[in-house]
Amino acid sequence: MAKHIVKRILITIPVLLGIVLLIFFMLNVVPGDPVTVMMKEHLKEDVVENLRKSMHLDDPFFLRYLRYVLDMLRGDLGMSWKLNRPVTKVIAQAFPYTCRLAVAAALFSWIMGIPVGVLSAVKKNSLIDHLSMGVSLFGVSMPVFWVALILQNTFKNVLPVSGVSGWRSYILPTVVLGWSSAGRIARLTRSNLLEVLRNDYIRTARSKGLPPFTVITRHALKNALIPVITVMAIQISSLLSGAVITESVFAIPGVGSLAVSAINNRDMPLLQGTVIFTAVLIIAGNLVADVLYSIIDPRIRVE
Amino acid sequence: MENILSIKDLVVSFASDGRKDRAVAVNGLSLDIPRGGTVGLVGESGCGKSVTSLSVMGLLAENGRVDAGEARFAGQDLLKLPDRELRKLRGNRISMIFQEPMTSLNPVLTVGRQLTEAIRQHSDMDKAAAKARAIELLEHVGIPEAATRFGNYPHQLSGGMRQRVMIGMAMAMTPDLLIADEPTTALDVSIEAQILRLMKDLQRRHGTSILMITHNLGVVAELCDEVYVMYAGEVVERADVFTLFRDCAHPYTRGLMASLPRMTPKGQRLYNIRGTVPNLRAMPAGCRFAPRCELASERCHAEKPGLIDLGGGHLCRCFLRGEAANHE
Ligand SMILES: Nc1ncnc2c1ncn2[C@@H]1O[C@H](COP(=O)(O)OP(=O)(O)O)[C@@H](O)[C@H]1O
Ligand SMILES: [Mg+2]
Repeated sequence: MAKHIVKRILITIPVLLGIVLLIFFMLNVVPGDPVTVMMKEHLKEDVVENLRKSMHLDDPFFLRYLRYVLDMLRGDLGMSWKLNRPVTKVIAQAFPYTCRLAVAAALFSWIMGIPVGVLSAVKKNSLIDHLSMGVSLFGVSMPVFWVALILQNTFKNVLPVSGVSGWRSYILPTVVLGWSSAGRIARLTRSNLLEVLRNDYIRTARSKGLPPFTVITRHALKNALIPVITVMAIQISSLLSGAVITESVFAIPGVGSLAVSAINNRDMPLLQGTVIFTAVLIIAGNLVADVLYSIIDPRIRVE
Repeated sequence: MENILSIKDLVVSFASDGRKDRAVAVNGLSLDIPRGGTVGLVGESGCGKSVTSLSVMGLLAENGRVDAGEARFAGQDLLKLPDRELRKLRGNRISMIFQEPMTSLNPVLTVGRQLTEAIRQHSDMDKAAAKARAIELLEHVGIPEAATRFGNYPHQLSGGMRQRVMIGMAMAMTPDLLIADEPTTALDVSIEAQILRLMKDLQRRHGTSILMITHNLGVVAELCDEVYVMYAGEVVERADVFTLFRDCAHPYTRGLMASLPRMTPKGQRLYNIRGTVPNLRAMPAGCRFAPRCELASERCHAEKPGLIDLGGGHLCRCFLRGEAANHE
């Protein structure tokens, strides 16, 4: 088991380097000169030249990549061109907002999604089932910005709809962000549970005289939730990397908003930093999912 | 003799998606299990053996339904019992073992947990007492290092071991009736013999009645006192085991006998009944076995034979009755 985890962690290293290379390459073929970004157009040629040199902008691509990776390993993602502060600091400042929103949205989606999925599976083809699956399909397929705008309009007199001023500011963004995840989790829970309920060991459990509730919770749910839990781990990692649309619409100064402003300002180090931050989180999420999976499922644990 | 279970005229049907008519899987089956006896239910795959036993246990699939009949157990009709009441009997007074030991245990719960939950469901033992009892059960069914095995997950056990666990689980409350649905079909022959010996042994010790479902007449000869032969949802022959092996009356039973490996002289090819079990939705109008029967006459195809008593409780559903035995 420990060996399995160590192996999984080691595998992520080349993956991460590859991702950084890819991001670095893509962002460096995009036009946009940082010096003009920082100084606008009022600069003398020799000053520009010096700046370019001090920022190593004219070095070969590979050298710059190598330097970036080495800095990254020391926890340095460069300076934001626009804000003139270390990218790591900027991200660290935005992350708590994203984190609160992500955790709230994840909890919302689990608390809504899992019970609804279980109920739908148990009452398969009933009105409750059709209703909740309809609503969750709606949740999965509605564009986020559209739901956000509708909620903002509906609740603008009761709840804060922009910026962060206390926990109530998180309510609407949480619902917007958690809604589609809840739908996905409900549908996944339902289909997995229905699948599991067809297994022989469910019949065995019933043949022991266990009541239906125990059969569902003890025998079916644990098996049915194994795939759901992996999805949840990956989901929370993608939520943590910042919900670009939701954060923008509700003006929450998180990592998602940061990425948007980095794009608008052509602030390459910041954009690079947020994208790499996202990638690391997603890789970590997959890793956690994998480890969780092996903890929950004894068949994997022993190998 | 008093019967522990008495099934009368059981009819079970299944709905299928997009069809109005239901497929009748068991058609008017009657079967008695004497207290302390072992009764065999034999027939090819798909003839309705499992459906019969699951109906009695109230474990039919969602699309299945008991349309008629009764199943008397200790003065109660199991088929009319509300689920609450039936649950008190299941795993307690009546238990069941299934065919597939590889899939019949929950992969994410330890063997011990699956045993103790059965015990605690029907008794007020505390955790420690239930654990002690479970380990004792594991020892009884011949599992070495029972205390260690208690904490194992099913995938850590072999097929034979898992079936032993299933038997231990079924015997946890020393039931009056044990329904074993092809408990050895998925196992090696040598393991099969061990499991059958174990069941015999447990029966001797506790006086449990057994309904042994199998398609293997060898298992019947080994274990049973009485045999019901089933074909296409109906009983076609019933006899005590000696009568059945000495002179079975129904051509189908004879076919099954002929396909027994050890009854074939060396070198001779194994006999196979030609054709296959008829489709549930396209049953022959006359005798259900007629299309496959080498002795079928015109009458067999047109008219449906009833179950006739050949004497001494030897029942047979065939116009030719005993005469069939003298042909060939
Ligand atoms: N859930 C179900 N839905 C539809 N048909 C079923 C279902 N369960 C069993 N059957 C049908 O009932 C018949 C008898 O099946 P079964 O009792 O399992 O046979 P066996 O004698 O091999 O145990 C078969 O034709 C089978 O296809
Ligand atoms: Mg069967």
